[in-house]
Amino acid sequence: MADVLTVSALNKRFGGIVVADNIDLSLIKGRVLGLIGPNGAGKTSLFNLVCGVVRPDSGSIMLDGQEINGLPIRARARMGLARTWQNLRLFASLSVLDNLMLGPQVYSADTFTDLIFRPGHVAAAERAARDKAFAILERTGLADIAHQPIRDITFGQQKLVGVARALMNDARCLLLDEPMAGVEGQAYALIQKAVRDIAASGVAICVVEHNVAFIRDLCDEGVFMFAGKVLARGSVEALIADPQLTELYFGT
Amino acid sequence: MDYIYTILILIGLFVILASSFDLVIGHCGLISIAHPIFYALGAYVSAMLAKEGGVPIPLAMLAGGAAAFLASVLVALPSLRVSGDYLLIASIGFQLGLIEFAKHIHSIGGAGGLTNIPSFLVNSYGRLSYVILVLAVAVLTVLFVRWLTSGPYGRMMAAMRDDELAFSMLGRNAIWVKVSVFAIGSGIAGVAGGLYAHYFRFLEPDQFGLLQSSAILTMVVVGGMRTTWGPVIGAVVLQILPQAITFLGLPPSILGPLQGLMFSGLVLVFMFARPQGLLAAPDIWAGRSTRERADG
Repeated sequence: MADVLTVSALNKRFGGIVVADNIDLSLIKGRVLGLIGPNGAGKTSLFNLVCGVVRPDSGSIMLDGQEINGLPIRARARMGLARTWQNLRLFASLSVLDNLMLGPQVYSADTFTDLIFRPGHVAAAERAARDKAFAILERTGLADIAHQPIRDITFGQQKLVGVARALMNDARCLLLDEPMAGVEGQAYALIQKAVRDIAASGVAICVVEHNVAFIRDLCDEGVFMFAGKVLARGSVEALIADPQLTELYFGT
Repeated sequence: MDYIYTILILIGLFVILASSFDLVIGHCGLISIAHPIFYALGAYVSAMLAKEGGVPIPLAMLAGGAAAFLASVLVALPSLRVSGDYLLIASIGFQLGLIEFAKHIHSIGGAGGLTNIPSFLVNSYGRLSYVILVLAVAVLTVLFVRWLTSGPYGRMMAAMRDDELAFSMLGRNAIWVKVSVFAIGSGIAGVAGGLYAHYFRFLEPDQFGLLQSSAILTMVVVGGMRTTWGPVIGAVVLQILPQAITFLGLPPSILGPLQGLMFSGLVLVFMFARPQGLLAAPDIWAGRSTRERADG
C-alpha cells in the first residue's frame, strides 16, 4: 500500500475555533476514503489546508513523499493534486468544454512567449487538451453538452463538470467536496461510476459527503471527524454502526 | 487639411490607448486608471532618446514602449502579490508622483514642457505618411488584442475573472497572467506615446494626468468593454464630439466647460441607460476554436 498523500500533526485554529486538531491522515493509491462528520467538523477545512487555500499553524503535508506545505496552490495542482468544490466554482462565462480545457497540469498558454514564438507548440497542446477533454466528457456522459454555457445545464450536470474538470489534471490525489449534494438519478450513477473508474486507475481519492449511502457504496474506508479531530478510521459499515459516532453525527 | 490629419492622428492614438486599456481593465479585469502615465513614459523616453541621444526615431519609439513595459512590471508585481485592489492605489500613486517629479526635472523641460522634439516622416513625406503610420499601428493593436483575447490566453483571462481560486487550483498562475497583461497593455501605450511625441513635438507632464485617465476610461466604457470595436468607436466618438461642437460658433467661455462636461455627462448617461456600452460584450467567452466549429 503506497501512501500518496500523508498529513501529519496538522493544526489550524481561527481564533477560538479549532478546525484541525493534530490531524494525521493518509490517502492510499487506488483507494477511496470517505470523510464523515457533522457540519463544522473540519472536513472542508482539511481540504483547504491540503490544497493551500488555508495555511496550517503547524504540521506537515506530503504529496508522494514531497513536502507541499508552504507551496502556492498552483504548484500543488501541478504536482498532481486536484479537487472539486462544495459550491462548484465553475467558470460561468465559459462553455463546459472550455472549463475542462483549463484543467491540464500544463496549459497551452501558460508560457506567454510560446503564443508568439512557438504557435505550433500551443496549437498542439490545445489539440491534445481538447482530445483529452472529449474523452473525459464521453466517460462522464457530458459530450453532448460540451459547447453549452455552464448556466444552461442542470445542477447535476454542473456537478459532473466539476469532477470532469478536476480529472483533466491527471491527478495522483483527488479531493471531492460533496460531489453528490443535490444530485439525483442518472448523474448520481454517473458520478459514482466515474469515481470508481478513477480510483481503479490508481488515483488516491478522498470524498467529503453527507450522503451515507453513497459513502457506503463507494468508499473502501471511512474516517470520522468531529471538532477538527479524526476520531476513528475503519470500514464505513463499522463507523455508521458505532452508536457513539452516530450520536455525535446527529447531535442527539 | 492639416487639421483633418491631426484629428485622424489623435483618433488613431486614442484607438491604440483605448484598445490596450480595454485589454487591461476589460479582458483581464484589473483595476487601474493609470494608463496615461505609461503613454507619458513612452513619449518622454522616445523624445529624449531621439533629441539628446540621436537614436533613430523608430528605435526610440520602441524603446519608449519597452520603458513603459518595464515600469509597469515594477508597479504591478509588488502590488498584485498583495491583492488586486492595491494595483489601483499603487498605479495612481505612480502616475501622480511621476508627473510631479517630471515637473521638477529641468533636463526634460520641467513643468513648462519638453520642446523641439525631433519630428518623424512629416518633413520628408508629408503629414499623410504619419497618419498612415499611426492608423497602421492602431489597426495592428486592435487586431493583436482581438487575437490575444480570442485564443487560449483569452480563455485564461475569462476564467480568472470568473473565479481566481478555482483558476489557481487548476495550476494556473493568476499573478503572472495579470502582470503580463498589464505590461503588454502599458507597453502598447508607451509606443503610442512615442508616436505622439514625434508628431506634436511638445510634451508637458500635466497632460498625462487624471483628466486623460478619465477620457480613456470613458472611451472604453461608452464604446463597450471586452469588445473588439467598442474601444475603437469610443475613441472615434470622443475625439470627434469635442471637435464637432467647436463648429457650433459658441463663445470660448462656454465651449471649454462644455467639452469638459461632455465626458462626465456621457459616462453618467451610459451608466444609467446602457451600462454595457454602445456595443455589448457577449457574456459567454467564444474563442477562435469555438467559432471555427460553428462555421464548420
